[in-house]
Amino acid sequence: MTIDITTTAGISPEPGPSSGSTAAVALRDVNVSFGKHRVVRDVTLDLLPNRVTALVGPSGCGKTTILRAINRLHDDTGGTVTGQVLVGDLDVYARDTQAELVRSRVGMVFQRPNPFPTMSIFDNVVAGLRLNGVRSKAVLREAAEAALHHAALWDLVKDRLHSPAVRLSGGQQQRLCIARALAVEPEVLLMDEPCSSLDPIATAKIEELITHLATDVTIGLVTHNMFQATRVSDYTAFFLLGEDRATGELVEYGPTEKIFNSPSDPRTRAYVSGEVG
Amino acid sequence: MSGTVFPVDPGSVPDAIGARRELVRRSARRSLRRRRIMGRTAIVSCTVAVAVSLAPLVALVAYTTSRGVHALSWAFLTHVPTPPGIPGGGISSAIVGSVIIVGLGAAMAVPVGTMAALFLVERRGRLAGALRFGADVMTGVPSIALGIFAYAVLVGPGSPIGHFSGLAGSFALAVLMLPIVIRASEASMRAVPRDLWEAGLALGVRRSRVVRSVVLRGALPGLVTGNLLAVARAVGETAPLLFTVLGASLVVTNPLQPMGALSLTIYSDGTQAYPAAQQIAWGTAFVLLTLVLVLSVVARVASARLNRQAR
Amino acid sequence: MSPTLLEEIPPPRLTPIGGVREALQRRWARPGGRAYAVLRWSGATIFAAIVLGLVVSLLATASQAFGHSGVSFLWSGTYNATKDIYPTGIFIVGTLITTAVAIIVAVPIGVGTAAFLSELAPKWLSSPLSVLIDLIAAVPSIVVGLWGLLVLSPVFAHHVEPFFKAVPLLEWFFHGPAYGPSMVLAGTVLAVMILPTIVALSRSALTSVAREDREAARALGATRWQVVRTAVVPGARTGIEAAVILAMGRALGETIAVAMVIGNNYSLPHSLLSPGATLGSAIINNFGEANPGLDRSSVVGLVVVLLGITVLVNVGGQLLLRSRLRTQRAAP
Repeated sequence: MTIDITTTAGISPEPGPSSGSTAAVALRDVNVSFGKHRVVRDVTLDLLPNRVTALVGPSGCGKTTILRAINRLHDDTGGTVTGQVLVGDLDVYARDTQAELVRSRVGMVFQRPNPFPTMSIFDNVVAGLRLNGVRSKAVLREAAEAALHHAALWDLVKDRLHSPAVRLSGGQQQRLCIARALAVEPEVLLMDEPCSSLDPIATAKIEELITHLATDVTIGLVTHNMFQATRVSDYTAFFLLGEDRATGELVEYGPTEKIFNSPSDPRTRAYVSGEVG
Repeated sequence: MSGTVFPVDPGSVPDAIGARRELVRRSARRSLRRRRIMGRTAIVSCTVAVAVSLAPLVALVAYTTSRGVHALSWAFLTHVPTPPGIPGGGISSAIVGSVIIVGLGAAMAVPVGTMAALFLVERRGRLAGALRFGADVMTGVPSIALGIFAYAVLVGPGSPIGHFSGLAGSFALAVLMLPIVIRASEASMRAVPRDLWEAGLALGVRRSRVVRSVVLRGALPGLVTGNLLAVARAVGETAPLLFTVLGASLVVTNPLQPMGALSLTIYSDGTQAYPAAQQIAWGTAFVLLTLVLVLSVVARVASARLNRQAR
Repeated sequence: MSPTLLEEIPPPRLTPIGGVREALQRRWARPGGRAYAVLRWSGATIFAAIVLGLVVSLLATASQAFGHSGVSFLWSGTYNATKDIYPTGIFIVGTLITTAVAIIVAVPIGVGTAAFLSELAPKWLSSPLSVLIDLIAAVPSIVVGLWGLLVLSPVFAHHVEPFFKAVPLLEWFFHGPAYGPSMVLAGTVLAVMILPTIVALSRSALTSVAREDREAARALGATRWQVVRTAVVPGARTGIEAAVILAMGRALGETIAVAMVIGNNYSLPHSLLSPGATLGSAIINNFGEANPGLDRSSVVGLVVVLLGITVLVNVGGQLLLRSRLRTQRAAP
């Protein structure tokens, strides 16, 4: 069921302002299939600029699948994506669009912290810049410092930038991964259940981070924790397995306040009141 | 708790970020072409590497077959060698010799190796660790050292047999096979899930019985493969036989006497300058190669079949 | 008794048919049963005895030569009034050169192949291909030696060696007459034999790099080649190093094939095209004719030296492999 987002609280997507600011992500009728099996159907939603949009719902409903469709990670895993994905004015799946260039504009943080184990903290942070051809030591240092500040990690590591990244704790490693993603100055940051493998204190730190990061990037956050969605997100998209129990679908999308306090769809109401999922 | 909406003015994103963003975008675009080309070069190099890796196998099999097949005939397989220059010779003495030597060697190595593997499976502690380490080291020992060890123990003056014999060769091959059998057997036995062990023991069954009915049966595919591969390795060895078995041009069945072996024939005939001798070497090499490859294939097929039966 | 793999689980109480039977069953139900224990211990003891016997017997036989020459055995071997019979130093040089050639040839090809199998090949292709490459290891070394001697050697003499002589930069390595049997031929034959080891171990090291590391690089905008270079290869480095060292160990232990193609010349090789000798080839060519006593003891001395070098390299490789497994488990 496609949701026309202009009907939810009268908010329409703003066109991305010119260079130097964030762009919206627009998904229109996006379907993702693996072979014959359709994992998620007909998703239409927006990630509004400088806002945190949460994708919530029980496991297996396609939230992560949709997230990965935005930065074309399904190219590697054999998934087929139909529909339109726009990042700003860039058509992600257009024939002449290079996936690598999409990914340098759309960053991703994964469920389990994955710093490169053989690299130091500094090398991890600037890895993205180096991969994209940025060589200048001055730029790298500047970007690393800015990114580590943004990830609330600078004070902790500024004296040991060249020590191995794996020596950090789990929560610190995840913030390092956030810094690494931020260093390439993406317009969008996708976060796939970034706190699910962390303890509550580390989780709280990262949630605090997320609300601040939105000033510079548009954030898409997948979480199975409803309360996290209410704490950090501006907009929420609720996913559920369709009636065929095989394909996920977008049930409702709108401002977080509305979704959790006065949802339109009965299924949403059931989920947020804790009856199911 | 509602999510807070930040009153953000789109134009207020700091200049530094905007500038860096542009820099990265430009750099990404510009470098992509170079990165893609390097990727393609890497793909080509790796493909070439694979082709080069397969070439020796193809060459070995092709040459051995094409040159060895000519020598093949019923006479070749059933006659004994003739003096150089006289046609009609064969390698029956070598075939019989190899079968006896390797057979005896396996008869020694498989039981001892399995027992030692059981020891390693049942016991923790430094002694077991040292033994396991010893087995790993032994697999890398040059086989010539094993031949010379067998010489000292069984062939040299003052030793029980005192002269060249098939048994000395068997002993050298057994020492060669032992660590392979031990490691393969231990791995197979450890792969049997613990629940099966515990179920047997919980019923009050004697441990040795549990091992016999449950563990060995479960590990059977791996044990069969491991032992067959050890035998395949032993059949092809030459160095351990050089100074133990000596070689013979008659069919010998008494292991206490010197006998022939396929690998020895290849060595002695192949290194001669006469084309006739080299031809015999090729024929023998073809027989040996076929034997070894058949054993390897049988080992894999048998283990696959036993695995299926177990399920 | 001895610490065992599983906790002892006492047997359930049986209906009393006879107190003796019960008591016996309880006794034998503990770690094994005596027969079983005897079986296990004999296996272990026999194996240990063989290993110790090997070391002791070789050292004993070689002791005469060591005693005669002392430490200088390691480079000049046993000196005889008329000539150096077994110039150990030259054999060691030969061993090192042939092994080095084997590594230089086999490692790039092997790691490239492993990268292909691990990163590029579709799943239906990589399994059969790796089986084929493993098959090379199944070919008996005598057959490889025969092929090296009768097929490869003429090719080397007529085409390969002259080719290398013509390349301007390589002159220093390749000069002198090209007869065929030579260091470079022996090195190439060794390379063929150690290739499967390098491919199998490197491939295992590459595939064991976590998918998450690859994804992280990909999500930053890396091309597939960049993913391999920045995320996969560094992670696999220790494993590949172990593979190289173990392959070296394998090359050191390979005697018969080398003996057939190295040309058996006991002077110091001055070029890769010269024939020479390695520890293995010297042992094979001399043990048969050595007179009992100092002669034979010297050859066994060579065996001891070869054994020492081989064991050291193999142990080093094993330790490296184990340390890699340990760090992999430790990474979060």
